[in-house]
Amino acid sequence: MPPVKWLMHWHPNPGATLNSQILAEASGCAESLGGSKDGRWKTSIIFYRAMARDGASAGAGGAPPQQPPDVPRELLGVALHERPGLYFSILRSHRLVLQADAAFPQVMEKLQSYKARVTLNFEGFQYQLGDFCLRIGKCVPNNSETLRGIMMEVEYYPLSSIEKSRAVMEDFFDIWQETLAKKSLPGHFIHVESNFSEYGLSDHYSFQHTAVQYATCLQQLMAAVTVRG
Amino acid sequence: MPQAEAHQHAEARGDAPPMQVDVAQAMEWLGRAGRLIADIRLGADRLFEILFVAVDAPPHSAQQHSEGTALAVAQEDTAVRRHFDDLRALGRQLKESGALNGALKARGNSWGLHMPLVCPDGAIVAYAWSRQLACQAGASALDRTRLALKAFTDQKRRFFPHLDDEGLSHLHASEPGIAKNPRLPASNGDIKENTLSEIINNLENEAPNMKIFTYRRLEWSKRAASLASLMNDDFVDPSKEVNQQIMSKLRSGHETTAMDQIAILELLVPSIFRAIVSLHPAGSTDPDAVAFFSPTEGGTYLHTRGQSVHHVFKNLTVHADKALLYFVSVEPSKALSLLLRWVASYQTLFTKVCSKCRRLLLMDRSLALLLPPIQRPYHQTSSVGSDQDAYHIGCSSYDA
Repeated sequence: MPPVKWLMHWHPNPGATLNSQILAEASGCAESLGGSKDGRWKTSIIFYRAMARDGASAGAGGAPPQQPPDVPRELLGVALHERPGLYFSILRSHRLVLQADAAFPQVMEKLQSYKARVTLNFEGFQYQLGDFCLRIGKCVPNNSETLRGIMMEVEYYPLSSIEKSRAVMEDFFDIWQETLAKKSLPGHFIHVESNFSEYGLSDHYSFQHTAVQYATCLQQLMAAVTVRG
Repeated sequence: MPQAEAHQHAEARGDAPPMQVDVAQAMEWLGRAGRLIADIRLGADRLFEILFVAVDAPPHSAQQHSEGTALAVAQEDTAVRRHFDDLRALGRQLKESGALNGALKARGNSWGLHMPLVCPDGAIVAYAWSRQLACQAGASALDRTRLALKAFTDQKRRFFPHLDDEGLSHLHASEPGIAKNPRLPASNGDIKENTLSEIINNLENEAPNMKIFTYRRLEWSKRAASLASLMNDDFVDPSKEVNQQIMSKLRSGHETTAMDQIAILELLVPSIFRAIVSLHPAGSTDPDAVAFFSPTEGGTYLHTRGQSVHHVFKNLTVHADKALLYFVSVEPSKALSLLLRWVASYQTLFTKVCSKCRRLLLMDRSLALLLPPIQRPYHQTSSVGSDQDAYHIGCSSYDA
């Protein structure tokens, strides 16, 4: 049973840019709180776009092929660092999250129903702070070095109930903000609440919860990313 | 004695209480009466002797003897009659002093003494009377002792509710004078808890969020191991944990399992903590160790001498050890009850802010850890379990 985890992403001040300095400062704060670096982490998110269905005409110069309205246009695949053998797929439009085997992307490849378009990697170092674990990482597209975002995972090992751990997580978030504020950085971290119940998830934290949090974060994080279709 | 007369008049009306008797004076008179009675008996013996001698005398000396006999008899008769007069006078004195009035005479038999020893002239034979007086003194002493005992046991029950007073209630039951004492609540409102079942049942009512499961020693080892596989399952079904608990509760229901073999108590506040308490010897109400764990932990290391992998529960266990030691040394017969209530108060471990710094998480400088307030006081045993304060390790004022 995985422990509760909060995802936070960096929200830059209006007009400010992202840079790796913020990442370095955040890491410094983690260490000032007594965190000890103990490894790297990497979670990947794959954007799938729905492929055109039968009846699309390639040459007649007509309108682009239309999808039936209720078919989701995109699918998210999430490969979490803590479980390399698992793969999570999310249909945000339908509030569905599925836990599958790591062979899932190969199945999708063969089906050609949805094609992988963009892969985003979240990677960085992780720090142990007593019963907390902090993962601070940058968000970069696969095969690119462009910094698209800065993310943080905060895990509290002793608890698995979202409700029961809320007070502790909020308090940690406050402490984190206080510590970071001393660095006068152009922005701040935000924790976005995900509506887990919409996805049919319970109060007991699970990998599905993490996948959903990534999906929620992405909406904000990738506002600037153009997905080539 | 006008007082005596007035009293006797009142007595004649039947509504006067027994008069105060000068017991020493009465005892002296009765002693004198006893001697007079003895003298009368001796006189009677002598008279008989004279007559026997006179009867056995040879016939030729009859006239001589009869004159001597008559004289001796007359002398003896005078002496005995004098004794009788003295006795009567004494009797009158005793009666006038109120020592022989009817009420006391009537009560004489209530002590279980049979008193047929009433002379024709109304005087009561000294021996029985002195016994009655002695009994009366004894009776008042008994009354006083009873009252003192009742006062003592009431106070004991109020200030030392944990002491076993079954022996005393047995004493009370045998005395008709005092009504059987109802079980009085102690000052902190607890009722008497003697058996493991009672303690557990009371706690389940007081702390409904905490589930209590009982195990024999081997049973617990299996349960701890099964928790490991449950928690490590990737496809975890949260309802599975609840089902497991229900099953184990059915298996080891408090009413059905032989409570004399229970060695482990599992105290679970779902999603907050799992505390283990071991009893030694099995079946007793004597706790010998306690340990806290996360409800997500499982494995054979989950026992009262084991250590949680989480800092918060590791440090909490250290504090709990001190509390247990305190309870056992200060109130040994109530130690388990106190410990369980103290453990139950930790259901707010992750929400209750420190009573000193008003924060939830605080960086402990010496441990270099962010911890919630894990110290709750245990010295005031009367307030254990109630909504009391919580402190961070560095915030508490005493080395708890």
